[in-house]
Amino acid sequence: MATPGGPRSGNFPPNYNPNSLANNMQNLQINQPNQQQPNNAGGSAPRPPPNATPFGQQAPAFAGNRPGPPPPGVFPRAPVPPNAPAQTTLPPNMVSSRPAGPPPGSQPPTFSSRPPPPGAMPSSIGRPVSPTPPASGPRPGSYPSSPLTSAPSTPSHASASGPVSNGPPTFAPGMTQSGSSFPPAMGGMPRPLVGPPQPQAMLSSRPSSQPLQMRPSFGGPPTALSSASGQPTPPFSGLPRNMVPPMGSSPFSAPNTGMHQSINSPYGMQTWPAQPQQVTPPPPIPGPMQQPPRMFGMPPGGQSLPNQSMALNQTGQSKIDPNQIPRLSQSGSVIVHETRQGNQANPPPPATSDYIVKDTGNCSPRYLRCTINQVPLTVDLLSTSGMQLSLLVQPLALAHPSEEPIHVVDFGESGPVRCSRCKGYINPFVKFIDQGRRFICNLCGFTDETPRDYHCNLGPDGRRRDADERPELCRGTVEFIASKEYMVRDPMPAVFFFLIDVSMNAAQTGATAAACSAIKQVIADLPKGPRTMVGIATFDSTIHFYNLKRASQQPLMLIVPDVQDVYTPLESDVIVQFSECCEHLEMLLDNIPTMFESNRIADSALGAAVKAAFLAMKSTGGKLLVFQSVLPSAGIGSLSAREAEGRSNMSAGEKEAHKLLQPADKTLKTMAIELAEYQVCVDLFITSQMYVDIASLSVIPTTTGGQIYYYYPFSARSDPAKLYNDLRWNVTRPQGFEAVMRVRCSQGIEVQEYSGNFCKRIPTDVDLPAIDCDKTIMVSLKHDDKLQEGSECAFQCALLYTTVYGQRRIRVSTLSLPCTNMLSNLFRSADLDTQFACITKQAAIEIPSAPLAQVRDQATNVCINILYSYRKFCATVSSAGQLILPEALKMLPLYTLALLKSTGLRPDGRIDDRSVWINYVSALPTPLVIPLVYPRMIALHDLNEKEVDDSIIPVPIPLSSEHIAIDGIYLLENGVDCLIYLGDNVQPNILQQIFGISSLEDIPNQFILQQYENPLSKKLNDIVNEIRRQRCSYLRLRLCKKGDPSGMTFFSYLVEDKMASGFSYVEYLIHIHRQIQSKMA
Amino acid sequence: MAAPELAQTDPEGIEGVRMTWLNWPQSKVEASKCVIPIAASIQPIRPHVDLQILPYAPLRCKTCSAVLNPFCRVDFTALIWVCPFCFQRNHFPHYYSSMSQTNLPAELYPNFPSVEYSIQNPQNFNPAVAASPIFLFVLDTCMIEEELEFAKSALKRAIGLLPENAMVGFVSYGTQVQVHELGFSEMSKVYVFRGSKDISKDQVLEQLGIAVQGNRRAGPGMQKSGGGPSPVAGAGPNMGINRFLLPASECDYTLDSLLDELVTDQWPIAPGNRALRCTGVALSVATGLLGASTTGTCARIILLVGGPCTEGPGSIVSKDLSDPVRSHKDLDKDAAPFFKKAVHFYDELGKQLVSQGHVLDVFASALDQVGIAEMKIAIEKTGGLVVLAESFGHSVFKDSFKRIFEVGEQSLGIAFDGTLEINCSKDIKVQGIIGPCTSLEKKGPAVANTVIGQGNTTAWKMCGLDKSTCLTVFFDVSSGEKSDPAGSSQLYVQFLTSYQSSDGQMRLRVTTVARNWVSGSEDLVQGFDQEVAAVVMARLASFKMEMEEGFDATRWLDRNLIRLCSKFGDYRKDDPASFTLNPCFSLFPQFMFNLRRSQFVQVFNNSPDETAYFRILLNRESISNAVVMIQPSLISYAFSSLPAPTLLDVQSIAPDRILLLDSYFSVVIFHGMSIAQWRNMGCQNQPEHEGFAMLLQAPQEDAQLIIRDRFPVPRLVVCDQHGSQARFLLAKLNPSATYSNAQEMMQTGSDVIFTDDVSLQVFIDHLQRLAVQAS
Repeated sequence: MATPGGPRSGNFPPNYNPNSLANNMQNLQINQPNQQQPNNAGGSAPRPPPNATPFGQQAPAFAGNRPGPPPPGVFPRAPVPPNAPAQTTLPPNMVSSRPAGPPPGSQPPTFSSRPPPPGAMPSSIGRPVSPTPPASGPRPGSYPSSPLTSAPSTPSHASASGPVSNGPPTFAPGMTQSGSSFPPAMGGMPRPLVGPPQPQAMLSSRPSSQPLQMRPSFGGPPTALSSASGQPTPPFSGLPRNMVPPMGSSPFSAPNTGMHQSINSPYGMQTWPAQPQQVTPPPPIPGPMQQPPRMFGMPPGGQSLPNQSMALNQTGQSKIDPNQIPRLSQSGSVIVHETRQGNQANPPPPATSDYIVKDTGNCSPRYLRCTINQVPLTVDLLSTSGMQLSLLVQPLALAHPSEEPIHVVDFGESGPVRCSRCKGYINPFVKFIDQGRRFICNLCGFTDETPRDYHCNLGPDGRRRDADERPELCRGTVEFIASKEYMVRDPMPAVFFFLIDVSMNAAQTGATAAACSAIKQVIADLPKGPRTMVGIATFDSTIHFYNLKRASQQPLMLIVPDVQDVYTPLESDVIVQFSECCEHLEMLLDNIPTMFESNRIADSALGAAVKAAFLAMKSTGGKLLVFQSVLPSAGIGSLSAREAEGRSNMSAGEKEAHKLLQPADKTLKTMAIELAEYQVCVDLFITSQMYVDIASLSVIPTTTGGQIYYYYPFSARSDPAKLYNDLRWNVTRPQGFEAVMRVRCSQGIEVQEYSGNFCKRIPTDVDLPAIDCDKTIMVSLKHDDKLQEGSECAFQCALLYTTVYGQRRIRVSTLSLPCTNMLSNLFRSADLDTQFACITKQAAIEIPSAPLAQVRDQATNVCINILYSYRKFCATVSSAGQLILPEALKMLPLYTLALLKSTGLRPDGRIDDRSVWINYVSALPTPLVIPLVYPRMIALHDLNEKEVDDSIIPVPIPLSSEHIAIDGIYLLENGVDCLIYLGDNVQPNILQQIFGISSLEDIPNQFILQQYENPLSKKLNDIVNEIRRQRCSYLRLRLCKKGDPSGMTFFSYLVEDKMASGFSYVEYLIHIHRQIQSKMA
Repeated sequence: MAAPELAQTDPEGIEGVRMTWLNWPQSKVEASKCVIPIAASIQPIRPHVDLQILPYAPLRCKTCSAVLNPFCRVDFTALIWVCPFCFQRNHFPHYYSSMSQTNLPAELYPNFPSVEYSIQNPQNFNPAVAASPIFLFVLDTCMIEEELEFAKSALKRAIGLLPENAMVGFVSYGTQVQVHELGFSEMSKVYVFRGSKDISKDQVLEQLGIAVQGNRRAGPGMQKSGGGPSPVAGAGPNMGINRFLLPASECDYTLDSLLDELVTDQWPIAPGNRALRCTGVALSVATGLLGASTTGTCARIILLVGGPCTEGPGSIVSKDLSDPVRSHKDLDKDAAPFFKKAVHFYDELGKQLVSQGHVLDVFASALDQVGIAEMKIAIEKTGGLVVLAESFGHSVFKDSFKRIFEVGEQSLGIAFDGTLEINCSKDIKVQGIIGPCTSLEKKGPAVANTVIGQGNTTAWKMCGLDKSTCLTVFFDVSSGEKSDPAGSSQLYVQFLTSYQSSDGQMRLRVTTVARNWVSGSEDLVQGFDQEVAAVVMARLASFKMEMEEGFDATRWLDRNLIRLCSKFGDYRKDDPASFTLNPCFSLFPQFMFNLRRSQFVQVFNNSPDETAYFRILLNRESISNAVVMIQPSLISYAFSSLPAPTLLDVQSIAPDRILLLDSYFSVVIFHGMSIAQWRNMGCQNQPEHEGFAMLLQAPQEDAQLIIRDRFPVPRLVVCDQHGSQARFLLAKLNPSATYSNAQEMMQTGSDVIFTDDVSLQVFIDHLQRLAVQAS
């Protein structure tokens, strides 16, 4: 697909994505309502109708996409001078949002610039005037013509301070004090100028030498800041007024109902850049080739392997220079990654880095990552290396907003072209022969006839002449519209069923209220449309359904009292079209907490409730969101406090400790399989203050493609916000239903096993009642034959699923990697993040079935074996006293050490915490695995002094207590928890600035982050918000003080320290070294 | 056929007791020769103007606990009375000391064989609360919209009529059972029970979360919550049954709006299938719910059902519409696969209700059968009411239903928690009772070896009873020689009925009757009550038809009738023409003739449900009502004469007559041909034909009189000669004129009946012939 050049692509918002998932994501980003509130008060701000957003767009987008020109947003393939195309990417409709911006004086207009979903925004008014290059792409007619009627009126009342107009040039700087992202350097480009042309004040911190990132976006200032380090994750936003959840605002927003909120929401206003799209610089910035990042750039033909070696001698650390040991160094800049270059697979950047993918044949590493980027020809070579060959598959991973959206291809009735033998899907690596009349499948090698209507002649290079026009022949990832043969029934509607524990404990701890309030806020964000159905039930020792579809004034409560043998109390009307029951539902959610306020029933019949909800959902399937607070003690699948029993019976407990990490019995497993069979996905939100036997409960989400959210110990003060944001992200993130996934490999390699959160029924397929962008499946591979020298080995992941809007799609990602018979190539192309993720996931799988010591040893052994192999076969230097680490895997010992000290493998953890950890890890995306075991720690107290380069988040500090100053404040986050540690001697003025409190003693236990009017506080909030955005997680914030149990918790994360559960980093290196030496001997 | 007895306005008298034989044969052998068993029909709480209410506790005999009565010998000086049953001498307590020959306490007045004591129950510290009766309505929702609307409006009206303190509960059901928690103010709240699974009382209570003292079952895991109050302890005021049962005054608004919102059952019905209706489970649940109330409370389950039970226990037919509901034929051939199981289920249900002292009333309105035949056992054992109608919109249902809740003169006089005990003289044994009651299995010397109906006892439970409730007690005479130390030829039977009246008072009705032992046939004849005898034979025949397999009721009745005539007729052997019967017996053969043709014996014309319904009423209605069921009354209205009873014969039909037939279940006004023509011409509206208008009006008024006092309200049929509805009349008439003898018999303007049934004349002829044959 020869791109017509930058300008063309610029016509569309870069993230304009025809694909529904992407739309969904856009949906996430919409923040305006928040922003606009002030205006609305004024009257007529053009505010997008909340409902209108996501879909209108979708339809036009993919129709006719197949053969047609590439969808908008395509980036030029060839390196382009920096800046050039970027500019043009300003979204047409952006202007309009501006006028709606809040008047100055209110919060900084951080996200006013949030891109509205195209078409939905009335704002595009400004567009026509802007000098954009003519659009040549298939541009949906909808947005130029979108209703802007209200726009003209806006300026009039916009606010005294900001002169507003809808023409771009008129934007007053005052209004945009936050700065715009347009660098002055843009000079020559046709600049549509939509964003306020702005003074660069905000940008000043950026080294000017670096190409400024222009955010294609709608130029809000904050976005500019974030862009440097931004990851493509969706934004989280804080709510300025928490009572009203903005519709369509970003997924994480501030808490809910009246828990405590002032206007200054504790969660920080919108400070994080909300739009993912703007985050990245357009492709040209760092040319892919320009500056190969250290860790993965593979110098062509480089002979010597990069090593890191350290002198270690047997006796101890004295010789080790602590500064020399490998540590994670983060590169702040965004990497642009082309998946193939020069017809060769290009090794992907580290999963944890910030990168933009250009799909040039291989799929994006977000979707498929292999532990080694070259495939060993033989099984012997692989086993010699000590490494494993596995794929991590994240089929719906969130793309970076600057990336080209996935092409949707419609083959019509006949469905996509597939190999008739292995059923592999057509992909860029299929070889057409015989003038295009036949093709050779790159997976099984079979020669198929080209379907008549798909025939095309070959060009002189042997490629089909239309290869570049057909996404399925030039892109590593495409999405096919599924034809009838892929449907056993009509695509299911999006069903959301909420199940809330209202037993005594839940009601008294505020968990019920928190759940209801979260749901109430979230329902507005459910996918709109007639296909969205909702249902709700509560339970204690009985199950309470609600008939929401009644002509009457109030819902009817239907109680199912038989929790041994449950049933659904109504055939219909328990699950109702969302649009029909919206008001009833809201009223009900208001009522539930008071209704059960004085509930005296302590028993909770979770299993029965899930079963009953399942019966209600059986005909459609859907998502079951369960809020549970106590150990299920009644009805089917009730559990006992095994942990306590284990403790009282110590001798047996010691021996069989891991048994507590296994499900108590088969009941829930059987139920879970049945749930999965009928496409019901269960997510569990555990808001508990005691042992709830996660090991048993987790079977349900794990089997049905769901996950566990764990709030322990639940605090009615600090947790509701997280609960809300988690729930919101859960329902709004890109996701699909009734999915089936299969990975196919080239001949010689086959799939050994899949692992992750799904239902295993037949070994070759993965059944997923639901799949979302955060779910990763590990696919371990094995050789069943020798591969061909010089060939490529392909992996193809096909995911058949139903979108939330009821379309059946097949997402096919193909990755073709070179084969090698050189051990050194394997080490050079090893992918540390992927390998370590696999090691972690394997450990998680083994924890429940083996004694802990064995699992720990095994993790260390994997590390030793790899290093040993490298030492023995590849290292050139062979001084006995040296520990030699392959460059690509130099962090492996540190990560392994961290893994041993992680919640899951630490010998002293709570049973439930470990079960949660296991469950969390099993579906965890690769980029989040490393932070989980090796958290990021940054210093907060000196934020003001340090001028960090251009990223919001300061440079991380090694996880060692040496780096903890007594007067410091540190933030440590692992993607789940976020600890803020306060040293003993923190300066009161810093305390005052950050916490609004001058003395350590006054700091409350249950901590809520608030933003105060000072730069330090603002920076902290920005940082926290940025982390939330990166991790797609709201994080549980906790304060830790020295000398407090919370301080102990903090120090337990400093994995480089020596602690009860293990070696210090240096000791561990020595340990490894010794082991290698003894093997060498 | 104005029998002299019918003219007698109050044959039961203050006693409320009628016996087949006024004088009793002295020995068992003689008794068996009498053919008609010695039986008493009693109406335990029949109101009577002369009935004395005594505001103090009765005196009871020390040994047999019989109550002081006019037949006791009293020594006024020593203040001693001698029990006529066991001859125990009892001292009067001191407060009787002022008593003298001329100053008798009411219970000793010879004119008052029945007195009623009003008992203040000392334990009952809060009579106001304990007295509130409970009405638990159970409403079927598997009906068409229109029917449900009728039922709902009937319910609303009923609730409006309830006394303010009456406790009300509501259960609706279809495929599942919904127990409505009326006391939940936040929103409508129902507990849903699955229709396909039987559920025990304990389970119901546990699942409804109702605390029952001492019945708390500690489930696994119940302890672990520690600290907190036990979840089922029901500490809060809102935890108990009061969540479900509320005083009518408090819940009428809730119920009203609840009924407004109630819709027909929403579960889908597969094509070709019946609606899934779980009547059985609904009743189980209702029973269980009432089980939470303390025993002794007065409670009725009032079931409104609109079709057969097809789901869960108590099902009477499969879901498949192509399987018809069982018929009598199926029952005979044992081809009703659901029947026995269902009967067993309802039997257990009935026992449960009886043990709780609660009543099951069934109001069935459906064109199809609903399973009354199966439920009969539970209804009868609890003394419940039953009404069978075609539609909830029909007056048979509407007016009957309303009457339950009415107070005042129209009131049924519903009472609760009745117990009947019988004391009798030494040589008398009690075989049992046919009627709405349950044996309490109270053994004693007066219990006979043979059992009829509810036997093996001298005490019975009547969970529900009303002023017309009637029981038939079967007596036996002991085989030993009479040994009356007093040399008296009198025998005594005392009926003690304790009950809670509708206004909540505890009452004890004591009825003591004295009869004579006689030896001669003449005395027996004089003491024969042919109405009672006919009714007793009908009840016994019905009972045997139900209980004895292959029982041929017609033959049995014929044989007994022949034996009776042989014994008590005057004739010369083998000379039919010489046969005459004493007037005391004269009507009996005709009763038997009509009984043989009635729905009680000729069941095949009716569905098992109808038969069961007729029998329930036959067993519980008074003698005079039961006689009408057996042999309807017919009144003729003509210009020339006053309204007069006329022969129940086809020849009573005349073109210029209006006939009023009362067959108890229906009241038929039959216009002769000419009358109908005149009426159609509108003559009654013309001033010159005022007489005709009055003639038309008279039977209507009489019919209304009949209808007003009757429960269940009979169906009123107004028809014309040769009209299709005329069959309601013709079926009951003696077919003296049929197509075979039309020529000779037919009078002008009369009618013929197309039947092969024999006429009364033929029957009597045969009877005479057989009676005079040498036995």
